[in-house]
Parts: sequence; structure tokens; C-alpha cells
Amino acid sequence: MSKIFTRMGDGSPLEMTESELRQDLEDGVAEAVEKAEVPPLSSDEIQYLVDLFKREDRIVGVEPGKEIVLSYDAATLKIKRHSLFEDRVNCLAIYERLLGADTLELCHVDYSYKPLKPIISYEQATMEQALAATHSPMFYGAMPNLGLYTQPDGPFPNPMELLPMGKIKEGRESYDRMVESAVEDICFIAEAMHESGADGINLDTVGASGDPDFKASLMATERIRAKFPDYGIEMGMAGEFVLGMHGEMFHDGTRLAGLYPRDQLRLAEKAGVSIFGPVVNTNANESVPWNLARTIAIIKPCSEEARIPIHANMGMGVGAVPVTDYPPVDVVSRASKAMVELCRLDGL
Amino acid sequence: MRSAGDLVARVQLSKKLRIGEAKKYVADKLRVGVKELSDPVIMSEVRADLGFGIMMPLGGTPKGLECKFNIARVLDLDINCLNRFKRMAGL
Amino acid sequence: MSDSIFEKAIESIMEHDEEMALEAVKRHLDSGAEPMELMNKGFIVGISKVGDLFGSGKMFLPELMMAADVMLAASQALNQAMPLGSQSGYSGFHITAATVKGDIHDIGKGIGIALFRANGFTVHDLGRDVDTEAMIDDAVKNGSRVIATSALLTTTLGEQKKLEESLKKSGLKGKIRTMVAGAPVTPRWASRIGADIYAENAHEGVVGVTKVAKEG
Repeated sequence: MSKIFTRMGDGSPLEMTESELRQDLEDGVAEAVEKAEVPPLSSDEIQYLVDLFKREDRIVGVEPGKEIVLSYDAATLKIKRHSLFEDRVNCLAIYERLLGADTLELCHVDYSYKPLKPIISYEQATMEQALAATHSPMFYGAMPNLGLYTQPDGPFPNPMELLPMGKIKEGRESYDRMVESAVEDICFIAEAMHESGADGINLDTVGASGDPDFKASLMATERIRAKFPDYGIEMGMAGEFVLGMHGEMFHDGTRLAGLYPRDQLRLAEKAGVSIFGPVVNTNANESVPWNLARTIAIIKPCSEEARIPIHANMGMGVGAVPVTDYPPVDVVSRASKAMVELCRLDGL
Repeated sequence: MRSAGDLVARVQLSKKLRIGEAKKYVADKLRVGVKELSDPVIMSEVRADLGFGIMMPLGGTPKGLECKFNIARVLDLDINCLNRFKRMAGL
Repeated sequence: MSDSIFEKAIESIMEHDEEMALEAVKRHLDSGAEPMELMNKGFIVGISKVGDLFGSGKMFLPELMMAADVMLAASQALNQAMPLGSQSGYSGFHITAATVKGDIHDIGKGIGIALFRANGFTVHDLGRDVDTEAMIDDAVKNGSRVIATSALLTTTLGEQKKLEESLKKSGLKGKIRTMVAGAPVTPRWASRIGADIYAENAHEGVVGVTKVAKEG
């Protein structure tokens, strides 16, 4: 029997028999069911994935009528990452007119809200120019990145140093103060960008510093929404569950630590987010089929319940896309197709 | 901009509509079928006719903010930067 | 030996209850049983469960840190009851840990260190943004058998390769093992640069280092 070509989660080529493929898909689902407490995929959905991986086409795409929108985070940063020193306004036009982006995002290379404060006037001027030269919805984006609020990079004691010393109360207090500062910074930038005409603000990689990071993002969202009812707010997550760095942080009576996408969505939606981006991390030690089945099982309940658009994160190391700077199109297109068709997504 | 993704995304963002509803909203406003929204041949003609901005905007075609005024009017949306433009231009 | 003592030992770790842990140690030793049996069937099972729960978002960092403290107290109490030289655990096994130069992300490293300590290893945490020479100097000074590095950015991954090259140049490669971890780190990267241990997560790191420790 001929082998099926696919890849490992780090992008390495891999060949499997059909029974090995099916086993990996079922194992991926089982892991999702156990960890994220989600329902398993149906036998039809597993069969869909088997057929998808068996196809010999190098690239696959969604069926006509199932097209979704394609948004990019950190667009201007990604051009720079390739050592292309293009003006950021041009970068955005390139994304819009050459790379098929349906939304645009201006960002600074630091990509964190905190360091933007002293340079916001310059960022506003760039935003105003970019809005005049492009056509698509434009976000300003950055990460809450609470890590920047700890010493020596910020004013507060580092909980990662306090907690191992048994100073749990002090560590938690430090997190509480970091949240307050981060909310101020996010709201300051969001307001400035609203003034400059941006269509929305993107809170990206939310939860990278655990539950305090998510808490700051929810609080900032509520404040921004209260002040600007029509402003777009996108929230993209950092990981499949919220790391409990504080552990006792609550929002609307819900403990934030340990929340998986469906529960993250509930809070984000209530806070006033316009577009939510759930994430499932790719495990480099497992195959892409294992990762994809697991990702779909975790994202599907979130997307099915959502009342707002869901743009799942699909890129290096997330959404079953391998952890490599050069994600191969064979697995990226398969993962994208399956995520759209089985999860009822609104965008990637 | 090859078809209508930017328009559907704009409706998703401003009205928090999910993909099916957002596509229908745009298609109805443009008086095209939902399936035509992803067809670059049909949509480039529709975009050119409505002044929504096209991939190769040569001289004499609307660009940037000019297109956004057309998009806001036809799709019946409020676009933030247009309000700023009017404010700054004293309109 | 009654299973209930093992269960109490497991529970004491999961509930981070030092008093319960020490009571289990006392009852176990009073019964004349082998100290290591309680470590293997009780406390190690408990800390593995804690690692699994943390890895799936069902237990949180402060609890993990508290469980690590209880584990440490239990190992010390058991060690006191054992003849010199046959102590349980890996407290004599030193690890130097750091986030690489140019990288200030330290959450993953902190979690890894907590789990190493919970499993009885002695860890020297050099913090974040640490250059390779400082890591090697620390490892030599403290007799660390493993240097564990975390890199969270594709732009800082290269520092892990630099460490391998520095260890080779100084003739320490093989004597000091390396463990690599971090979001963009993959088994493929670990193998390409010649790192000894790849850790997808903190639990895998402990498994990998334990294997080295058992080699003696």
C-alpha cells in the first residue's frame, strides 16, 4: 500500500500508512477531549480528515462558497523580518494589493503597548498616512506583553523571582499592579489610534504572560468599548489555555487561569470584542494530522458558540501549522481548509 | 481587493457579523450573488463601477480615501478615518 | 505497606500540604519500610500528577511552586532516614538554567525550574538575557551537569547554537549536557545544533534530565 505524505509538527517530512494516519487523528482528538474537555470529532469528520491527507494535490482549497476573510497581524513587522526595509505605509499597500490581505495592521517593531507611549505621535502620523493610501479595514496592533512591566524592564518586582522564594502574596500583588498599568497603556494607545482614524485596535498574543495578561486585555476592552461603541476590537490569544501565573485572578466571577477557547470567547464577547482569535499550539513532537485533529476539536466548540466573528490563528506554531519559519504549503493549505470547513470559521 | 474580502471584513468588524451574514449583507448592497463575491473578474468590474478601489488603479481612478467614501455610502457603514478627514478638512 | 500512606503522600503534594507529607513520611518510616518506596510510589507520583495538571491548565503556577516546596521537604525528611551516600532524589545533580542573550522571556524558564526543583534537582537560575560564557562559567563553578536554555524568539534561537559551539571549543561538550526549550525550539533544531535534550514542555524537560541523572 502506498504511503501518505505529510509532516511532523516541526515541518519534517513524514510518510504514514492510512491506518497510522487514522490512529494519529484519533489520538489527537483523544488528547483534546481529555485536556480541553471538548466533545470528540464525529466519524464523518475523522473520515474527512483521512481523505484530506490522502489527496495527492500539493495545495488544496475550500469549496466554492466557503471562502472566508484573511486577516494578518503584525503585517508591517513581517516585511521587516525579511530584511526588506520598506516604508510601513507601502508595506500595508503591498499586503492589500499584492498579498491578498483583507484586513491590515500597522504595528511598531517592538509590538508591545508599553513602549509605544513615548512615540505615539509618530505612530499616529504613520497611521493617518496609511489610512489615506489604503482601502481595507486598518488596525493598530501590539501585545499587552506584561513581561515588560517587571524589573529590570519595568517598575514592578518580577513575580517569576518572587514566587520561587515562596512570596506568593507579593508575586500576586505585583501582577495586580502590572494589570493596572497595562490597562492604562492599552487604552491610551487605543484612544490615540481612534483619534487618528483607525478602524480598530488589535490586542495580539493575549495571555502570553498568563492570566494577568488576559485580565488586562479584558479590562482594557471594556473601557475602550464604553468610550467608543463603534470601534473595532480584535483579540488574538497566545495559547490554547490561559496559563495560571497568578491563579486567583477573576473576571466577571470567572477564574481566568486554565480557560480554553470556548470560555475565553465568552468573556471576550461580553467585554466587547468585535473579532476573536483563538489559538491552539502546535506540538512539534507529533504529526500534523495529530495536531490538526486536536486543533479542530478544541476550536470547534468555540466557533460554534460564537456570536461574533472568529478568526482562528493559523501560522508558524499554531493551528496545526508546523513550528518552522518556512511553513510548507502542503500542510498549511490542508490545515486551513479543514479548519474553515469543519470549524465554521469567519476568518483566518 | 482582488474580490470582496476587504468589504466582508469591514462589515464583520463594524457590525460583528459572522461570515454568512456579512457576505449576504455585502452581496445585497452590491446587488450581486454571494458566490460572485469571491470572483475576481466580476468583482473587479463591480469595484471599478462603484469606485471601491482596484488592484491596478491607474490615473483618473479613485484611490484610498476617495474609495472609502464610496464604500461607506454603498455599504451604509461609518468609517472612522472619513470622519477625521471631514473634521480636518473643515467639511 | 499500606496503600493509604502512598495515597496520603500523593495527596500531600497535590494539596501542597507539608504537614500531611511529613506525617506520611513518619508513618512510613515507623513501619520499617524502605524510604525510597514512599518516594517512588507516593511523592514522585504526586509531583508527576501536578506536572500533568499544570500542563493542561488545571493547576496554576503558585500551586506548582507550593507543591515543589512540599516535595523538597518530603525528600529531605526521607533522606535523613537513609544511610549517607544512598539518599533519594537528585539534590546532588546541579542544573544551570537561563533564558538566552537578547531574550527577556522568563515564564517558561520559571515553570521549568519549578518542576526541576519539585523533582529534587538543584537549579542555578541565572535569569534572562544571559550570555553563553556566563552560563558555562556558572556550570563549571557549581558542577552543573546540564545547562538548560530557553529561547522564545526565532531571533534569539541562534544563542543555543552558540552555546554548543562554546562548549565544544572549551572541551566541555559531553561533560556538560545541554537542554533546549522555548516556543520556536523543535526536535529538528535540537538535533541540528547537537543539543542533548529537547523539551517540548517542562515535564519533558524533567524526563530528559532525569534520564541523564540516572546514567550517573
